[in-house]
Amino acid sequence: MIKRLRSFFSKFQDSGQQPSAAEAEALRIAFKDRYHHFKLLLNANNRALEVMGEIEQALRGRAPFGMQFVRSRCTRVSTDVFQIVQHINALAPKKYESLLARFKEIQSRINPFVHPQAAEPRGPLVMPLSNVDRASADLTGPKMANLAELARQLGLTIPHGFVVTSAGFECFMKSGELQAEINRRTQAAEIERPDHLYALSTAIQQLIIQSPLPDELALAIAEACQKMETAAGRQVPLAVRSSAIGEDLSGASFAGQYRSVLNVGRETLGEAFKEVVASKYGQPAMTYRLRRGIRDEDVPMCVGCLQMVNAKAGGVLYTRNPVDIRDDALIVHATWGLPKTVVDGTAPTDQFNIRRGSPPTIADRRIPHKPQRYVCYAEEGVCRLTTTGDQADRPCLTDAQALALAEMGMRIENYYGQPQDVEWALDGDDQLVLLQCRPLQQSTARTTDMTPVDSRWPVCLQGGQTASNGVAAGKVFIVTKEADALQFPKGAILVTVQALPRWAMLLDRAAAVITEQGGLAGHLANVAREFQIPAIFGMPEATTRLSSLQAVTVDADGCRIYEGRIEALLAHRDAPRNLMAGSRIWQMLDGAAQMIVPLNLLNPDSPDFKPDRCRTFHDITRFCHEKAVHEMFRFGKAHHFPERSSKQLRAKVPMQWWILNLDDGFKTEVEGHFVELENIISIPMRALWAGITAQPWEGPPPVDGKGFMSVMFQATTNQALLPTVRTTMANRNYFMISQNYCSLQSRLGFHFSIVEALVSERTAENYINFHFKGGGADFARRLKRVQFIRDLLEPYGFRITIKEDHLNARIEQYIMSTMIQYLKILGFLTIHTRQLDMIMANPAVLAHYRQKILTDIDTMLAAKATTTEEVLPA
Amino acid sequence: MESLRALFVDDETEYLQTAIKRMKKRGMDVTGVSSGSEALAILSEQAMDVVVMDMRMPGMDGIQALREIKQRYPLVEVIMLTGHASMEAAIQGMELGAFDYLMKPIDIDELIYKIQDAFQKRQLQIKKIETMEKMRR
Repeated sequence: MIKRLRSFFSKFQDSGQQPSAAEAEALRIAFKDRYHHFKLLLNANNRALEVMGEIEQALRGRAPFGMQFVRSRCTRVSTDVFQIVQHINALAPKKYESLLARFKEIQSRINPFVHPQAAEPRGPLVMPLSNVDRASADLTGPKMANLAELARQLGLTIPHGFVVTSAGFECFMKSGELQAEINRRTQAAEIERPDHLYALSTAIQQLIIQSPLPDELALAIAEACQKMETAAGRQVPLAVRSSAIGEDLSGASFAGQYRSVLNVGRETLGEAFKEVVASKYGQPAMTYRLRRGIRDEDVPMCVGCLQMVNAKAGGVLYTRNPVDIRDDALIVHATWGLPKTVVDGTAPTDQFNIRRGSPPTIADRRIPHKPQRYVCYAEEGVCRLTTTGDQADRPCLTDAQALALAEMGMRIENYYGQPQDVEWALDGDDQLVLLQCRPLQQSTARTTDMTPVDSRWPVCLQGGQTASNGVAAGKVFIVTKEADALQFPKGAILVTVQALPRWAMLLDRAAAVITEQGGLAGHLANVAREFQIPAIFGMPEATTRLSSLQAVTVDADGCRIYEGRIEALLAHRDAPRNLMAGSRIWQMLDGAAQMIVPLNLLNPDSPDFKPDRCRTFHDITRFCHEKAVHEMFRFGKAHHFPERSSKQLRAKVPMQWWILNLDDGFKTEVEGHFVELENIISIPMRALWAGITAQPWEGPPPVDGKGFMSVMFQATTNQALLPTVRTTMANRNYFMISQNYCSLQSRLGFHFSIVEALVSERTAENYINFHFKGGGADFARRLKRVQFIRDLLEPYGFRITIKEDHLNARIEQYIMSTMIQYLKILGFLTIHTRQLDMIMANPAVLAHYRQKILTDIDTMLAAKATTTEEVLPA
Repeated sequence: MESLRALFVDDETEYLQTAIKRMKKRGMDVTGVSSGSEALAILSEQAMDVVVMDMRMPGMDGIQALREIKQRYPLVEVIMLTGHASMEAAIQGMELGAFDYLMKPIDIDELIYKIQDAFQKRQLQIKKIETMEKMRR
């Protein structure tokens, strides 16, 4: 059919013969069809450019984004560019067919970044801890691998147990398409919004809890339990702990993001396993991954099932001071019973500072009142008991035990060659048991010149301990319950009673953290340090002495809170770290972006401006847009269908402007040579015209001698500048229009500019693109001119890029009336910046013109409230 | 614009019901079914202009259904709407003649614009064929 249509068109082109009624109808439809392709091409073009902008923004910015952002944007832009290629091929059959091959080539190079082939974990679903070593980290997660490794290499005591491996995890997530369903729900949610994240997190966790374990996994777990019980000769209660892969990724701590379930019986082990798996989609873990740019699929959840240690005492050992890299003392935090309150940061703990050396010695000891402890129930679960008698005030470790612990810590540190964060317990036989260990993140304590103190500053609270260094200011927001967390505003100071690990999910919004209770060994402290959020823990009465919305400055180094903003203190802040840049997800987007965003085809007149030279999606987009406009123009010019040939504009008198109606730009069809302004109903064209005619042009500014010479010299070398040399579109000022579209190519004086706009009720599709280039005068003057135009347009909100002496300004997605105002500004500039570069060397004259143009634009825009009605004839 | 008949195909019934309700509120003539085979069945009985179809469905998946629809009714425009973005599936679908590939969540007005654009494409195709027929006579 296309073939027939074409021969049909060429008939009129060649002979100039008048079409019959049926033929005229066919032509009208063919025009409409072409215009529809053109419009869809413009839409796709516009969307593609928008997505490219989003991708660039995401790579440059600090805002976190997830893998679903990478996937959806790359898919969107691929689809758009594919459509662009389809439409250009419909507009000019056979002419640009090689574009499809280019598209496929580029797409195939993007694909690995967007849909990486994850290696299927191979191995048993369940592994006894006795078989685990460092090499099995891919199957067991680093936490369990480290534990087993230390037992094997250093002979340390660890609990017996087994690991549900990453293969076991995959087996569970594949059953019933569980992972696919999770991915689907994740795409449909805006996880950057806390309320959406909360709803998604809850739904996914429920989904996981409700999914049955596949038979083979349930069987493997049951067998492993059976073996342990046979060996022990009794029932063995278990501690079920996360050991996610990737917990050791690029300094990511994942501290306290996942659940542990303590004292679990065999019957409920399956449920506990699912709870731990579900905690991968808990709000803290999801926020954390998002913030750190970690992909969901990079952190399969292995689960350790360890014999429960019925601890007399337990806690955490840091082999260095986490908040002062220069302090090499070991720090022990300890409490009665299970170490739960230490890592939760929910209660005061004993603290021993131990001086390194052989033998190590105790440097300092802080023994607070410890009113509560957690112990195991006989059957299952843990309970909180009130500590009676003098036990609450006694140290829960003897000095000898504390020193033995320090010695164990130094051996571990030595083995790994870096500071460690060790969780330990003292069992019923006073045997020291290692529960887990991981690298310790340290930060530098700031010196007094970094955080000055001035006695005149109004201190409103002081005390507690530095949990994370730094200074911040903001409004206090007191969080006591979950619901408060959802309301937590960005940039506020988090003030709360206990340093619960859950509040870690607020650290992507909090400027600083203040708690009344909780020690430096808690998870919240770890995450605060990782995110470089200043934090003071153990500050008495913080929630009662501070009130929400109160503006304060927090000096975490000096453990002081000041009233109001203390600029002198804030001036010494460290630049915040960009956690997204360089992350795995960032790398994926960056890799894909290399094939999407860069623009290599700049100049349509260059011999390189052809399909084979398209190296990126942007190149294809740029190429097709240029050619599409050209094809629409050529088609309109080439054949002799009178309704669609170009018309000269008449506004009372004939004007030197020509109009090509692409579709529905005229109120009534025009057969003759002229079209009256009143007959034009193109919204964007009428808006441009209003700007063009707002004020008569006063002619070129008085030229300084050098400027004139510069122009003359250019004119002799650049043929396109000479009025006598005619190129296809360059010789006249053309409007190509439809009711909602307009493209104005104008050559006024020595300048060449294109304004293209789509303006309709579909706000999302609205855009204006303004391109300005060429011109007489030497390069330096031309450059100054585009800068001059940039300075004029930027304050109005145009996004401007300048490459050499090409200026591109873009604005999109405003409602119609706003777009009309913008077009008037551009219409005005198109006329009134003519030949300004002749005076570009003279700053004073330039400033005069800038001011005059700005004033004139203001006058024009203020003249009457511009509405669609005003632009369109009644 | 002449009246437009759209068919929504999605196995997620909750989503389907909501979408249909919202489309109807905006004066669109919309029918919904929850599988590819149901879609083919309804197309064999009723004329539809535009099909909006989920990609991941149990039984006949979206790509399969798209292939069948375009083979039997080449002038019916199909918009793919998916909760599971895949670059490869998107291009495969476009090559099979889908009008567009959209991702959930999508703004309802944007979806309506797409449906209108697809409808206009179909109308133009039909008219083009009609006039060619006339000229042949």
